[in-house]
Amino acid sequence: MRAVVKGRIGIFHLQGFLDGNNAPSFLTIDDIKATESLNIDMLLVSLKKVIFFNKNGLDTFVRLLTNIRIQKHIVVGFCDYDHTKFKAINTFYGDELSFSLFKSEKIAELFVSSNKSESKTVLLYNTDHSQRSAMAIELFDYGHNPVIAQSLHEFEEKKQHLDLYYAVIEDTYLGYFGQKIATRVTGNAIIYTISNFLDAEISNTFNIAYHNNSLNVGFRLFIFDAYKVVSMNIHALNFFTKLASAGAEYNATICFVGLTFEKTPEAFKNDLEDAGILFFDNMEDILKNKELLSDLGGGGGATAKQHRSLNKALVNELTHFIDATVSTIAMMTNAEATKSSVKIQTLTVSDSTDQVASSIGFYGDIDGLIILVFPRAIAKKACELLIGDSNITDEDILDSLAEFVNIIGGRAKVLLSENKKRLDITLPRTYADVKTLLEIAQDKKGVQVDLSFEGQDFIFFLTR
Amino acid sequence: MITSEEVTLYIQSIPPAPAVVRQALNYARSGDLTKAAKYASEDPALRHYLKILVNRPLYGFKNEVSDVSQIFSILGVSATVQTLYNYLLSLLTPKKWELFALTDHQFYYLQASLSKYWEKILLHLNIDDKEIQSAISLIPATIIVCESLFASRKAEVTQLRSVKALDFNTILKRLSGRDLFDLAAEIAHMWEMSEKTVTLIQGASGLRNTLSTEEKILAQWMHLLLFYELSQSVYVSAGLNEFIDFQIDFVHDIYEPFMQVMA
Repeated sequence: MRAVVKGRIGIFHLQGFLDGNNAPSFLTIDDIKATESLNIDMLLVSLKKVIFFNKNGLDTFVRLLTNIRIQKHIVVGFCDYDHTKFKAINTFYGDELSFSLFKSEKIAELFVSSNKSESKTVLLYNTDHSQRSAMAIELFDYGHNPVIAQSLHEFEEKKQHLDLYYAVIEDTYLGYFGQKIATRVTGNAIIYTISNFLDAEISNTFNIAYHNNSLNVGFRLFIFDAYKVVSMNIHALNFFTKLASAGAEYNATICFVGLTFEKTPEAFKNDLEDAGILFFDNMEDILKNKELLSDLGGGGGATAKQHRSLNKALVNELTHFIDATVSTIAMMTNAEATKSSVKIQTLTVSDSTDQVASSIGFYGDIDGLIILVFPRAIAKKACELLIGDSNITDEDILDSLAEFVNIIGGRAKVLLSENKKRLDITLPRTYADVKTLLEIAQDKKGVQVDLSFEGQDFIFFLTR
Repeated sequence: MITSEEVTLYIQSIPPAPAVVRQALNYARSGDLTKAAKYASEDPALRHYLKILVNRPLYGFKNEVSDVSQIFSILGVSATVQTLYNYLLSLLTPKKWELFALTDHQFYYLQASLSKYWEKILLHLNIDDKEIQSAISLIPATIIVCESLFASRKAEVTQLRSVKALDFNTILKRLSGRDLFDLAAEIAHMWEMSEKTVTLIQGASGLRNTLSTEEKILAQWMHLLLFYELSQSVYVSAGLNEFIDFQIDFVHDIYEPFMQVMA
């Protein structure tokens, strides 16, 4: 069994009965290796469709989860259960509960980085004060707005107004947390929350793959929320200066907010400034100042001054990327997409009304960005296999479009590996309208392929 | 990936029941096991199948049983009908299992095991109906159909499933408008099984909401029994645990009595 990866979370979806006899059969050695190589921040086992489990059955997965947590510093645990299952797990493991428990996948998603910038208001209650505080801090660090009930009575009262909350967090437990730096997206800026004393460990806790992915998909402003930082040593200083240098190729800006220099040598500030890092006292100084935000690159990327040009290595592989796109559409719809024109130009969308878009970056032996722009109806049709055809919301379409472009990235990776080219793909990004996309991509030169599917045109754009 | 035309072609390619098996089935349904055995004996492959089947440990016979009439009288009318359907289904098994890491032996064991447990369940439910008893025989048809339709698309399905937890049944339904249980029901139709049986087979998917109260109860037990079996280590390793979506809410209220019957 392989974990299904959505965003930064990998989930094993088990079904039926789980005991000590059958549990090892769910995971082959290849499955374990594949799981270890996933680029994720959280690995969970869903118990939603498990009607019976015992401790021996869970232990098999707990062993795998624990090994992966130790190796990769990610959050591991179980999700999608009812109160009875939650109680059973607590009874089985008691004080030895080292993994996390998330009542639903939706709740788990609140505790990882994503490419979405919405802040969610959630109702939170836990009888254990330390758990309550830990969850509130994590949620806040990931950019959410936790409403914390201080008593069961208050919780029950607040629960009456479910429409006020994106989710109600109960029957949830944070085990050994991943110790990854919390990340959130605000508009077109990415905010990392750092705290305490910063030392060499930061290179383990900072998700460099996520950062590189973000650069690849067009983010240009990275803010370190450093209000809770006490001090840093030379190793952390080196880490940040290297990060700033690497980001320069993308014209990215790195800022520190709230960092004090009471216990950190002033000389470090000069070194960081020399590397191009900016300092602000308050987050609002940046986020509420649209002009400054735009100057720093958080206004959508339109200010990027340096453009990485399309290169021969990328153009040589164009057919593989188009094949991956066309074959994915054929697989998902049983219909064929045909090529009508291929041009090297900047992204040109002749009619931007009612269009949605998605993009996925890739890096490795070659690097670049695939952008797809669809009329909404075509996007819906292309994603029908993933979402079915009933009660589809715009959010469903965008989520599925992310999955769709992820499959394309996966197929391109396979096709290129046949030519001995190694590729990694980034998190997909979706756009509810093309305006934001154009702000990021309008000045980039790339290969635009106009494709036709069921009588309507859509755009494939490959750039760097 | 799979079109409705391909699905139709596949169903059309399923051979009708051989004449001797049809005759044996007709006599068995009417309760005349002697005549049923006479026709069944004419088919050497069926004779071999029956011998292998009833001499499995599951049936618990100390001495080898090889005579067809003896086998039929041991099985009784309902189990004979069921066994004949199991045999028909065995004719559809692929030459080589590619999608599922399964052997013919494991598949036949699954058939036999489902039949034995179904008998136990019907006893618990106080149901003595040959058609209902034989309905379980066609449930493994879903596995054969799935193997046949998806074996050559394994890589595509793997890629699809790396981003979304989709089972084969849902993929087929969304692409062709028919799911694996619809196709198993079509095979049941071809083999002249009753409407009641066809409805039950479709109901076992746990996705039909047009069932009568009695049909729903039987479909619930069938669905849970299927997942009870597919959770056995050998079938989990074969990849069968993931091939259809387990409808946990559909079976929730029969879980306790089910576990008592299985104990």
